[in-house]
Amino acid sequence: MDNKKGKNMLRINETPVRTSKSFNINDININETEIENESNVFENVEIIGDSSKIQISNNKTPINLKYGLGEELTNQVKNNSNQEFQIVVDSKTNKETIFNFDFNKTNSSLIENIDILANEGTSATFVFKYESLKDVEAYHNGIIKLNAKENSNINIIIINLLSDNSKNLLAIENTIEKNANVTYTIVDFGGEKTVTNYYSNVAGDFAKSNLNTIYLGKDKQVLDLNYIAELYGEKSNVNIEVQGALKDKARKNFKGTIDFKKGCKKAVGEENENCMLLSDTAKSIALPMLLCSEEDVEGAHSSSAGKIGEKELFYIMSRGFELKEAQKLLVRANFNKILENISNEDLKNLILKNIDLKLD
Amino acid sequence: MAKTQVEDIDRNVYDIKDKDNYDFKIEKGITKEIVEEISKQKNDPEWMREFRLKALEVYNSLEMPTWGPDLSELNMEEIATYVRPKTKLNTSWDDVPDDIKNTFDRLGIPEAERKSLAGVGAQYDSEVVYHSMKEDLIKQGVIYTDMETAIREYPDLVKQYFMKCVPVNDHKFVALHGAVWSGGSFVYVPKNVKLDFPLQSYFRLNSPESGQFEHTLIIVEEGASLHFIEGCSAPKYNKINLHAGCVELIVKDNAYLRYSTIENWSKNMMNLNTKKAMIGKNAQVDWVTGSFGSKISMLYPLSQLNGEGAKTEYTGISFAGEGQNLDTGFKAIHNAPNTSSVVNAKSISKNGGKCTYRSLIKISPKAKGSKSSVSCESLMLDDISVSDTIPVNDIQTDDVEFSHEAKIGKISDKTIFYLMSRGLSEEDAKAMIVRGFAYPISKELPVEYAVEMNNLINLELEGCIG
Repeated sequence: MDNKKGKNMLRINETPVRTSKSFNINDININETEIENESNVFENVEIIGDSSKIQISNNKTPINLKYGLGEELTNQVKNNSNQEFQIVVDSKTNKETIFNFDFNKTNSSLIENIDILANEGTSATFVFKYESLKDVEAYHNGIIKLNAKENSNINIIIINLLSDNSKNLLAIENTIEKNANVTYTIVDFGGEKTVTNYYSNVAGDFAKSNLNTIYLGKDKQVLDLNYIAELYGEKSNVNIEVQGALKDKARKNFKGTIDFKKGCKKAVGEENENCMLLSDTAKSIALPMLLCSEEDVEGAHSSSAGKIGEKELFYIMSRGFELKEAQKLLVRANFNKILENISNEDLKNLILKNIDLKLD
Repeated sequence: MAKTQVEDIDRNVYDIKDKDNYDFKIEKGITKEIVEEISKQKNDPEWMREFRLKALEVYNSLEMPTWGPDLSELNMEEIATYVRPKTKLNTSWDDVPDDIKNTFDRLGIPEAERKSLAGVGAQYDSEVVYHSMKEDLIKQGVIYTDMETAIREYPDLVKQYFMKCVPVNDHKFVALHGAVWSGGSFVYVPKNVKLDFPLQSYFRLNSPESGQFEHTLIIVEEGASLHFIEGCSAPKYNKINLHAGCVELIVKDNAYLRYSTIENWSKNMMNLNTKKAMIGKNAQVDWVTGSFGSKISMLYPLSQLNGEGAKTEYTGISFAGEGQNLDTGFKAIHNAPNTSSVVNAKSISKNGGKCTYRSLIKISPKAKGSKSSVSCESLMLDDISVSDTIPVNDIQTDDVEFSHEAKIGKISDKTIFYLMSRGLSEEDAKAMIVRGFAYPISKELPVEYAVEMNNLINLELEGCIG
């Protein structure tokens, strides 16, 4: 793959199908100099959870992604990772396992590979939280690979609370086997540049892939979210729900692809993306793609953008709230459906606190 | 339940070939010498000759599109870009040579003119062979003529607008068009003149291994109103033909233009067409498009809403069968406050055909108070066809109401069951559902075309369900 553009620019996070170059959505450019190498191990990781049902080791596992962010960034994780986790789920567990990655001045760069194998009939919840001090310019290039075997049920929550001058680059790849159910909840609040590539191979019959994202952008933050789900299994199901808000000069590219492959009879795929624009200089680009090579399916997507409803604002303000508080309430209300996926109250409160901080 | 088997369209009248009986056919390929020869053959003024040569330079400097259908079968070395039929421009059908006249008779053009049109233009290969308009419109100052006559008789008007709306560096095939264009229609509707009946141009490409590059330029002055219809077809040959036309619509303040197209090119045609409208204050442009033919189509009309309160609507249907790849859609650029765009796009894929809806809705920071609503629906009639939806929505201001919806799927078993429980056969139930699916488009077409479209759909479904 040719990821080069110009001498020092890299074209990353390409969509599975290209459209006109002039639409500025097929990919995003980063400068080669933005890719940081770090030889020291990232040590500031705290793991909280029940280790009796989940095996966690620091073994290096092979990386072979169908999509990913691009050759250079994938190779960086392959060859120069400074943190590796191999996770094997052997039974059902209700208790979540939390990985806290705290970035500070001595641990500011994380190049990580997380490989999760959920064996047949297992269930587990994982939380990956990336947080940095305000004055730390964090660099995160990560890969999360999940293999969900038959009848497994896996929840993954990713919380990005990096500082606004950080780079957050993340590639996710899931293989979901028969009757397995995989749900991701992604909270993207941090990073000067946040680039996410998410790919689900919904391989098995009755397999389910759910992805729920909330994002908030302010100042000059850029988010480039490229979500791809390919349905192969009969009666398989994909649901993508994205709710976001942008203020100041923030910009968001949302690229969501649901691809019904031949043979995925009676599969259902839905995608909904909504962007609240909180300033007249914020920019929202969306490319919600539906690709279909199978007749007997149901596919739908919807995408909307605009400012917060004036009627709703007026109603709340007539109850004595300031404009900013009213805006916060409405953003929270839009995010609430997705936040319900997070049962851990401490985490939920942390996210709500950060919504308020971002909108102040 | 048994499958719906949908055969290829019965193209009957469209596929009847005339002998390739031309007056002049340029050698195949695209070189400076060829472009100069076309210019000479057409007696271009000097500015047009220079324009063509500049466009050729742009063509040579631009890359092929890096997206969309595979165009590798198109070899410009095998395409003759200019074919002059053996006739001059006529204003009476009686003067048109029999073979050409018979072709247009079969397509029903003269009959349509008598019944329901205010004027007709007919192009055969690279030149317009017939043009006529009702007397009272001429008196009102309406101009409807071929582009060559327009360059001669209204040079200032043409020079002011020709390829200003669609610049030659827009993409490679617009540059090619700029270099070798020939034929097409020029329409000028003066201020506050409202045409009660449509004007229609029909484009027929008969010559094998050739291209048609007609240029349509329509200027609708302030407060004026026009419905323009274009139709196109060609008989099928074994080798690739190319259509790279260009349509430029200038619609001034408070004016209205409806631009309807029924495209039924043969299935060896690469249809790489470009259409764009510049829309003034409180003006409106409505596009109604039916795409049935061609091997490959890449066509995305663009409405540029430049005046406050400007409006546009796009209503389109694509019907792709065996061997067809129809990549169509719409672009709207909101450049002024309180503008609005409404899109209603439908597609049907069958027998291994591929339909793609590709679009751009861009709301610029200046377009405060604008609204846009997009709806796409795709129907798959079998499991060997493909249907893709690739829309881009670029929103650059908060004061906007934007929504986009798309659905994809097959004919609902429940609906068939419901209709069958009311006494319809399965065949009739499915045909009724397909016609119902296409109805929002066919109701926007002039009645003759709506009937033609329904006939095309019936032909496709008739006796094919077992």
